[in-house]
Amino acid sequence: MSKSDLLYTSRERVRLGFVLPSLIAAGLLVAQPLAAPAAAATKSPSWNPKASEKLIKLPASYLKKSIDHDFAESELGLAIQSTSEKADLKIDTLRDLQESIERAEGELAMELRHQFLAEKREFVNLLSDKNELRRKHLKTKQRLYERMLRKLGDEKAAMTPVRQKLIDKQDEAAARFKSSIDKVDMHIFQSTSAPTSKYAKKYSENMAVIEKLVARIQSHKMSLSIQVDGQPLTKQEYLRQLVAGVQAEVSILEQEETILGYMAKLVALDALDLSEQAFDADLADSDQPAEPSLARAANFFVSN
Amino acid sequence: MKSNSMNKLFTGAFAALIIAVGVLGASGVEAGTLENLERERAMAVKTMLDPEIRPHERHAKLNTFKRRLVDLERMVLRDKKLRGRNTPNVRKAFENYDLTFMAHSAAEKNTGIMDNWLAQLGLTTQSIMSASIRRR
Repeated sequence: MSKSDLLYTSRERVRLGFVLPSLIAAGLLVAQPLAAPAAAATKSPSWNPKASEKLIKLPASYLKKSIDHDFAESELGLAIQSTSEKADLKIDTLRDLQESIERAEGELAMELRHQFLAEKREFVNLLSDKNELRRKHLKTKQRLYERMLRKLGDEKAAMTPVRQKLIDKQDEAAARFKSSIDKVDMHIFQSTSAPTSKYAKKYSENMAVIEKLVARIQSHKMSLSIQVDGQPLTKQEYLRQLVAGVQAEVSILEQEETILGYMAKLVALDALDLSEQAFDADLADSDQPAEPSLARAANFFVSN
Repeated sequence: MKSNSMNKLFTGAFAALIIAVGVLGASGVEAGTLENLERERAMAVKTMLDPEIRPHERHAKLNTFKRRLVDLERMVLRDKKLRGRNTPNVRKAFENYDLTFMAHSAAEKNTGIMDNWLAQLGLTTQSIMSASIRRR
């Protein structure tokens, strides 16, 4: 924005008179509860994560990262990022205008103040839009975590007494097999002259490799379980913690919307103030005679 | 630029992890380890009870079965897909370790497969020898 763009002739003040009321109206509109407006008009960007089996099976330490990454690449994530960048640029513009106002005088200062107000209104609108998108993100994330918690709960609930009994039996069988495997091997291979079977040979070779890999996985920093105060968290506990975190973010967002509301109200009040100053200046410059006073006119009646 | 390459890296890592989760989730033999064991066990039992073959033939055949049964039983005991699979076959299989995993059970007890199996059914040499022949 060049300086010449900001220069207005005194005649254009009239236009200012039209512009300012609209600015005030816009400011007051923004000061209204911020929940409904921006997104309703056009199709708003979205993020549709799925609480899939694969997502639920991911290690807890990687779960949040993968969800955040999915969001960052979504339409909604990109929209929030773009709005943040615009808001940052707007802050730079506001800073530049504020510095210019401090140096300017007279009409130019008035015009700059008008521009400053318009930019502030734009800034408030941008933040309002961003908050709408953030709210949408948080609500979606909360629903996702809750769906995942429900699915984990369903899996647990599917454990009927009969199934539990079967698993207990299978565990018993596995334990018995494990404790007797050496004895069985000795008995079978001592009593027969045939060599070890192909399956047994390959199995033990693969098992050695698997054990090495499992040991590496267990010591890998990305597979370590999430801990709070030194206590490892289960996946359900971790998800509940994430839901609580989202709820905290929603509360903070609501507080920020209150701040934004106050900012919008200040923009409206500043616009009123500027409008009044412009109107006063218009009156001072006017060629029209002042309202005739009755006292002065009285002379016309008494002198004759 | 940097964030682009980071994104690609993350996407690659995520895809690899998803594949790993999928592969580990799908581990286990598709053909049905329990069904294979049941088939082999049925053949072994049939051989045990076959009146047509001579004792030394039966012994040789059962030795061959034993080696195959050991492998098949281990496949079932190590099959993660069977864990918690609440079907009548699986429930029945794990109901009695000594009958299902007859080769392992016999080796544990230092007895032959046939002796162990018959013992599980309550048929010992002693009980058979002490039985008397009667007309019904």
